[in-house]
Amino acid sequence: MNVSVIGAATTKFGELWGVSPRTLAREATEGALADAGITKKHVQALFVANMLAGPLGNQQHLGPFFAEELSLNVPAFTIEGACASGGLAVHAAVASIRSGQYDTVVVLGVEKMTDHKPEDVATALMAAGSDEERLSGATFPGLYAMLARAHMEQFGTTGEELAAVAVKNHFHANLNEKAQFHTLLTIDQVMKSSKIADPLTLLECSPISDGASAVILSSKKKNVEIIASEVATDTLGVAQRKSLTQLAATQEAAKRAYQKAGVEPKDVDVVEVHDCFTIAEILAMEDLGFFKKGKAAAAIAIGETTLGKTKRFVVNPSGGLKGCGHPVGATGIKQIVEIVQQLRGVVGKRQVTGAKIGLAHNVGGSGATAVVHILKI
Amino acid sequence: MISPVKIWRNQKKVASLVGKTGKIVAFTLIRVPPADFSNQAPYPVAVIALDDGDKVIAQLVDWNESSLKTGQKVQTVIRKIFETGDGVIPYGIKVKPV
Repeated sequence: MNVSVIGAATTKFGELWGVSPRTLAREATEGALADAGITKKHVQALFVANMLAGPLGNQQHLGPFFAEELSLNVPAFTIEGACASGGLAVHAAVASIRSGQYDTVVVLGVEKMTDHKPEDVATALMAAGSDEERLSGATFPGLYAMLARAHMEQFGTTGEELAAVAVKNHFHANLNEKAQFHTLLTIDQVMKSSKIADPLTLLECSPISDGASAVILSSKKKNVEIIASEVATDTLGVAQRKSLTQLAATQEAAKRAYQKAGVEPKDVDVVEVHDCFTIAEILAMEDLGFFKKGKAAAAIAIGETTLGKTKRFVVNPSGGLKGCGHPVGATGIKQIVEIVQQLRGVVGKRQVTGAKIGLAHNVGGSGATAVVHILKI
Repeated sequence: MISPVKIWRNQKKVASLVGKTGKIVAFTLIRVPPADFSNQAPYPVAVIALDDGDKVIAQLVDWNESSLKTGQKVQTVIRKIFETGDGVIPYGIKVKPV
């Protein structure tokens, strides 16, 4: 049984100091309900994706917290899977409909990060890593920097090629009114920005963001269907992995998703991948089977995944985590919103012409969780 | 603050890792650290393949530019993890070039 996405909406992503999590949640949810053409009385359950409300805001029990705010007196659940919380919540919601328990559910992703000091946010995010990683003084940019270094040494991937990912995603974000950044970048600017964790620079890292996104899922067939929803896990810490130049969880989730959906990478028209850092998009392109190992970086750099340049498919038309912003709990849901709107053909200047099949890829931690969704119209 | 009980419980693991040798398989230089490490940056963090087959992630100490490379031989040592002036001072494993 396929589950349909009947409504989808996202708030503006960015530094939204004047807006509370409640307001963000209401805007996204009411937008998705209006888009679906249904009212709150049709909703049977609420799934909330969030990572940091506990450590940063001392607020957990987010199911009833947001159910109350949204006047939804229904079963409500919080799903936490670090930066993959959004994708995991969609997966759990899909499973709840397939089980026959519910027919219509809201999946809401929300995160408020900019109320807090950056070092406090960095510390809270490290809760997604292992104890050994925390005691080593590593940060998430640091963990991905090591993956970048390994990729550069093994495949000759260059700093220019890494920077090209950020340049492309800011180009796409500039066409997305909901994106955090509307600033075009050059390779030179990215490479000369201050170093965060060598070799990664500031402009190779996704930002700290506020935002919310919501989708309405239904058992009733309507234009956009989720034809695969797969999750895989790997070791929590990066050091214990077999290889530092791949995310095995992504490979596993993708393999199963393609199998269930009956599609191959070449059939996919539009993709949203988890580019928390530039290297992450390169790894994703390879691990999702779009390019052979070691070949994605050069292909991205010559525009093979850029809107208006590619003859094949567009990657991260929303601007990705880098350009659109990365409110961690909302990101996985925003990816689904973007794919749904691309398949419906309603995104204007950043429309991927004639897109029929889309893929969303959401990662938690340094690759301990990966979620892959395939949608079609 | 890390719980003193947790630090005490972790001592067995720390003791089992002391004095091992291995080499760097990947590294980075952390310039924007988590709050507890702010007085130590910049500092390198590396994934180490220990000679006994295990892999660990650890901060590199007593380093210079020439020791920051893959293949660099290292040894595990006990060091202060951080000192924030608040609560117990945790000690644990770091690595130094040999």
